Amino acid sequence: MKISRLSAWFTIGIVAVFYVVPMLAMARFAFQRVPVIKLSWGNVFQKWTIQPLVDSFGSPDFQRAATLSVMLAVATALATIALLLPTMTFAHLGSPRTRRFIEISAVLPFVVPAIALVVGFAGAFRDTLPILIRSSFGLVPLYVITALPFTHRTLENGLAALDIRTLVNASRSLGASWWRTIAFVIAPNMRASIATASFLAFTVVLGEFTIASLLLKNTLPLYLSYAQGNNPQGTFGLGIVLVVISTVFVAMSNRFGKKVRS
Amino acid sequence: MNRNIEFRDVAKSFGAVRALVNFAIRVDEGELVTLLGPSGCGKSTALRVAAGFEVCDSGDVLIGGTSVVALPASKRGIGMVFQNYSLFPHLTVHENLEFGMKVRKMSRSQRTTRVGELLDLVRLAGLAERYPHQISGGQQQRVALARALAIEPQVLLLDEPLSALDATVRVEVREEIRRIQRTSGIATVFVTHDQEEALAISDRICVMCDGRVEQIATPHVVYRSPATPFVARFVGKVNDLAVEMTASSRVRLRGHALEFSVPQSEMQSGEARLLIRPEDIRVTSSAGGEGLQGRVDGLQFGGATTSLDVAIAGTSHVVRVSDSTRAMQFGIGDVVGLTLDVERVLLTRE
Repeated sequence: MKISRLSAWFTIGIVAVFYVVPMLAMARFAFQRVPVIKLSWGNVFQKWTIQPLVDSFGSPDFQRAATLSVMLAVATALATIALLLPTMTFAHLGSPRTRRFIEISAVLPFVVPAIALVVGFAGAFRDTLPILIRSSFGLVPLYVITALPFTHRTLENGLAALDIRTLVNASRSLGASWWRTIAFVIAPNMRASIATASFLAFTVVLGEFTIASLLLKNTLPLYLSYAQGNNPQGTFGLGIVLVVISTVFVAMSNRFGKKVRS
Repeated sequence: MNRNIEFRDVAKSFGAVRALVNFAIRVDEGELVTLLGPSGCGKSTALRVAAGFEVCDSGDVLIGGTSVVALPASKRGIGMVFQNYSLFPHLTVHENLEFGMKVRKMSRSQRTTRVGELLDLVRLAGLAERYPHQISGGQQQRVALARALAIEPQVLLLDEPLSALDATVRVEVREEIRRIQRTSGIATVFVTHDQEEALAISDRICVMCDGRVEQIATPHVVYRSPATPFVARFVGKVNDLAVEMTASSRVRLRGHALEFSVPQSEMQSGEARLLIRPEDIRVTSSAGGEGLQGRVDGLQFGGATTSLDVAIAGTSHVVRVSDSTRAMQFGIGDVVGLTLDVERVLLTRE
């Protein structure tokens, strides 16, 4: 018992070092006005400033990229819920085979490389629906797919915790339409799962680089990459902020996830 | 408008399994008919077809004289109570009761008045602001019943609403359902596999087996004059004895010399089964009228009644006999006489 607890703490310690040390290094580079070559243990508390971050926040390019990323994240979260919740509800009411098919489809983004997704997407829609390629919001369907392994699992857990068939039948027998049943019976009972899935989708979008880069959209991760030349300290500072935001979202989704399980 | 429900030769299959075969029954306004049968006999399927959750392969379902098979579940005007607790967990009792009325766009004042009436009807007036998880299973089913009645349905469908409740609450809620059904006068179809429940609550019982109707009659007739051996065996307890027909009104217990008189039967000869209920065999301290004797093998005390298992002398037959506990004077090992009420026997082919 003691040994297993000790080994658990040891593992946590290793992971924390693996996670925290690079973050601290990034923080020193971003927020200390000391040339990199002179960074040492002796000046670890000297000349800290958030000016590079303030400069980055003031940049119109950053503001455009951040606004776009947040809008894409919100759109992706909404599209994910709008698409997945009814689909998975119907799958739960239908045959187990349908559920298995959706489950397998949902993990495919883990094995399909982003480049293949973009090439297929561009090839399919360049001529048939070019607005999807031109508009930045064309990224939303791709982001929905990319986030699918996380969002599907979360919603699946929520649905499995409910007696969907009885709730749907009860609602339908009381005269409610399918739309009303999903919006006013299923969704409210899935609040925690929906919130968790939304946070996860949001986090995936904030960190996604490859798809946006291949489709030439100026999202926040791309801005961070390109802006390194002009304001390297500022972009590293933004990187830290992004990591903190993502961590908060993951922690919140975890908290909601616990609520779902309970 | 006459608020009734009628199944006309409804058939429904799931792959090779025939869940309903020419199912036909009519339930009139104010009547409570129970669909009774073992698991998988098609009783819940019949209810789900009526509710619109399943589509029948052929036949018709009429509510108030109008065919509803083409209508979606939400347009059929039925109230349904389910086996599993079906209250919406995120809504209070009051909000659950309002749900159907909101769908029907009733005004807030109308809704409030109706919710008050319903809570009074199910005697839960103080629980309006509780959530489902804050009330007991019995109370949840009473709220579910009130919610089903809130939309003033033409027909009420109850799909084993008591099966999740414990024995005491079950009887209590059963009586409550009957009282409310009588008060509202609504045509009600009640599904159960519990014969005692069916006998206690129903105006008529429809006994089902393998998707077919075996008998539709009042509880008394179903119990006393079962139409088929299945009904006799399924409803209540029955002794099932192997006999030989010696004439159209005479039988002999196989392995026994004595013959009995039985009501006139179509069977003249050959092997048959004689079905007789435990309370239709009288047990005496001496040999019975037909000369049957046996030894008490077992004794089951059941409160008001006591049952004896009696091994018939010279055979491997064991019959169960029931009588009031006060009248039952025998112990294990006693030799007793048995008299069969031959008017009550049912004969069937082997």
